Amino acid sequence: SAGAPQPLPSSGPKSLREMPHPLATSSSEEMGPALTPSPDLLLPRSIADKDLSLPNGTPVDTSSPASSSSLLNRLQLDDDLDGETRDLFVTVDDPKKHVCTMETYITYRVTTKTTRAEFDLPEYSVRRRYQDFDWLRNKLEESQPTHLIPPLPEKFVVKGVVDRFSEEFVETRRKALDKFLKRITDHPVLSFNEHFNVFLTAKDLNAYKKQGMALLSKVGESVKYVTGGYKLRSRPLEFAAIGEYLDTFSLKLGTIDRIAQRIIKEQLEYLVELREYGPVYSTWGGLEVELSEPLEGVSACIGNCCTALEELSEDMTEDFLPVLREYILYSESMKNVLKKRDQVQAEYEAKLEAVALKKEDRPKVPTDVEKCQDRVECFNADLKADMERWQNNKRQDFRQLLMGMADKNIQYYEKCLTAWESIIPLLQDKPETK
Amino acid sequence: VLSFRAVESQSEGQCAPVDSLWRRYSEFELLRNYLSVTYPHIVVPPLPEKRADFVWHKLSADNMDPDFVERRRIGLENFLLRVASHPVLCQDKIFYSFLTQEGGWKEMVNETGFQLKADSRLKALNATFRVKNPDKRFTELKHYSDELQSVISHLLRVRARVADRLYGVYKVHGNYGRVFSEWSAIEKEMGDGLQSAGHHMDVYAASIDDILEEEEHYADQLKEYLFYAEALRAVCRKHELMQYDLEMAAQDLTSKKQQCEELATGTVRTFSLKGMTSKLFGQEAPEQREAKIKVLEEQIQEGEEQLKSKNLEGRDFVKSAWADIERFKEQKNHDLKEALISYAVMQISMCKKGIQVWTNAKECFSKM
Repeated sequence: SAGAPQPLPSSGPKSLREMPHPLATSSSEEMGPALTPSPDLLLPRSIADKDLSLPNGTPVDTSSPASSSSLLNRLQLDDDLDGETRDLFVTVDDPKKHVCTMETYITYRVTTKTTRAEFDLPEYSVRRRYQDFDWLRNKLEESQPTHLIPPLPEKFVVKGVVDRFSEEFVETRRKALDKFLKRITDHPVLSFNEHFNVFLTAKDLNAYKKQGMALLSKVGESVKYVTGGYKLRSRPLEFAAIGEYLDTFSLKLGTIDRIAQRIIKEQLEYLVELREYGPVYSTWGGLEVELSEPLEGVSACIGNCCTALEELSEDMTEDFLPVLREYILYSESMKNVLKKRDQVQAEYEAKLEAVALKKEDRPKVPTDVEKCQDRVECFNADLKADMERWQNNKRQDFRQLLMGMADKNIQYYEKCLTAWESIIPLLQDKPETK
Repeated sequence: VLSFRAVESQSEGQCAPVDSLWRRYSEFELLRNYLSVTYPHIVVPPLPEKRADFVWHKLSADNMDPDFVERRRIGLENFLLRVASHPVLCQDKIFYSFLTQEGGWKEMVNETGFQLKADSRLKALNATFRVKNPDKRFTELKHYSDELQSVISHLLRVRARVADRLYGVYKVHGNYGRVFSEWSAIEKEMGDGLQSAGHHMDVYAASIDDILEEEEHYADQLKEYLFYAEALRAVCRKHELMQYDLEMAAQDLTSKKQQCEELATGTVRTFSLKGMTSKLFGQEAPEQREAKIKVLEEQIQEGEEQLKSKNLEGRDFVKSAWADIERFKEQKNHDLKEALISYAVMQISMCKKGIQVWTNAKECFSKM
């Protein structure tokens, strides 16, 4: 029921369903968890399209894309995208090196398969480089500031010793980029983002990028959420809880990252010694007659264990550490979104206070205060929905990651076990009496 | 033959206070010295190390460390068992008294006067460089024992470093236990899985202590043969000495015979200062010459008998030494094979434990 401003829905741990949307009609309950939006509620293909309106006739403010997307978000709250309902599949593979006069870089093939109407074709295959992904992420952050945007792998290689064209590095990056796009694909709002669509489909992305820059200065898309100078008095309980959670979470991940790195370091030092150890048995075998074969056997066995250990360390470096770092980056960007939310709320509260102080008997609340309230509520709703989704994905991701770590260690020990078990008969073998 | 009880009572003495332990060790040393001197053709079993060597960082280099003391006790017991099971050494009376006689054993040993029979190190060194015709088999054996000593020391040194590093790997995993526990506190669904997985990481980290303790026994088995290499070399050295002695005696005999001949015939074949001076200052009177010849002839006779007995001694030595060396070779091959098997078994056990722990952790993670 539009009218007098409601108390902020975000104060207090209420479920999203309980909160009435200021623009919603009483029939909002009937909308239910729709899997696909009705044509009326499709996001505009271009920013200039202003023909959208809600069922009750209230025009949707397309200049702030957040509100329409959050509506969509709420409709798709219960949407657990399982295989049957998924209609968009994206993969990153086939890295290729390009050597040009100015620079050398890697491109990755991005393949899209979809039945969505927003796409002209059912299949696309384009080539993209890291800076394209970086551009996409920036665009998503700008155009969907109320949502949690997945992280990208680090732009620069911190260690300096790593070769950014090495197979391992490229593969690690490819996996991270693939994960990045898949997370967007799985998101009910982000996956419908126009920039995302172009990223997946355009032959010439650079032309679109340039066009986008020009448009940006006209529409001032990114200006909307840059509210400066407002300070929030107190963060609502549930967002404070999220903030605290993220702080502790990223701290613990940092610790785990350090431990994992330390283990890899110790393993490599252990490997160095093992590589000297094995051959000594072989040297000894050269001195002996009857013991020659057994000693050679032990030497070879230790060699096999070395190989297994090397594989374990490599796997952990390539598969385990990057995912940890991704989540740390994720947490950081999420904390920034929380801060933006605070800003939006602060602006609303400040303007509300200003109105109250004027003590004028106005029957209607000024539209800009209403807009602020709208923004706060949408932001809160979007963020909460994303947090829930994020928590669930995080649980699955870590379950998989840690099980993977356990698996790699099991495989390592199994390889070593096989090696040692196979030489027992060799050691017990009695030489033929000559 | 020898009762086990006697052996054990000696070993029990090792648990006595510090000074008596050191005295005991010195008595073992005395026993071994006695046996080495008295049976130079035998590869005498070695004593365990006096001081902790080839240590890795966790293992105390402190000789008072209870683990080290215990391992040395086992080593001393092993030494006695080796001697007791040797066909020749087990019959030695001094050895028997070592096991049975409480007091006055030291005096008894010294009374044998075995120290007089001991060869000086200098003489032995001389022999090494000057012997002309050593038995080829002994030369090869000496070379082998040098190489064996070198390779086993290298092996023990690297093994100690390997153990050190492995310890580090396991212990760092213990940190997972703590951080998983802390992390589980802020999680809802994931909490239990993380917490219990963390416990398994603690178990994993703790398991390395027993694993490495067991490996020390393997290292001790290698060390025994490291020290055995020295015993082998001692037998080779004894042969060299005897051979050198023989060669010197033969040389001496030859030169005396030559001198005799020269005096008898009056011809001087070899240059000698005496010969020159006698030419310059006049020759000796015939009576003097006769006397000299007589002395030489006596010495030659003695020398020939000595040479004969030395030859015999030498051949006996080679025969009995080689018999013991063959026995030793069999023992070595058998023991080292057993040691390698037990090492492989240890590694297998360690791998199985690793699989178990990580499988448990995986299950905990799956419940997240």
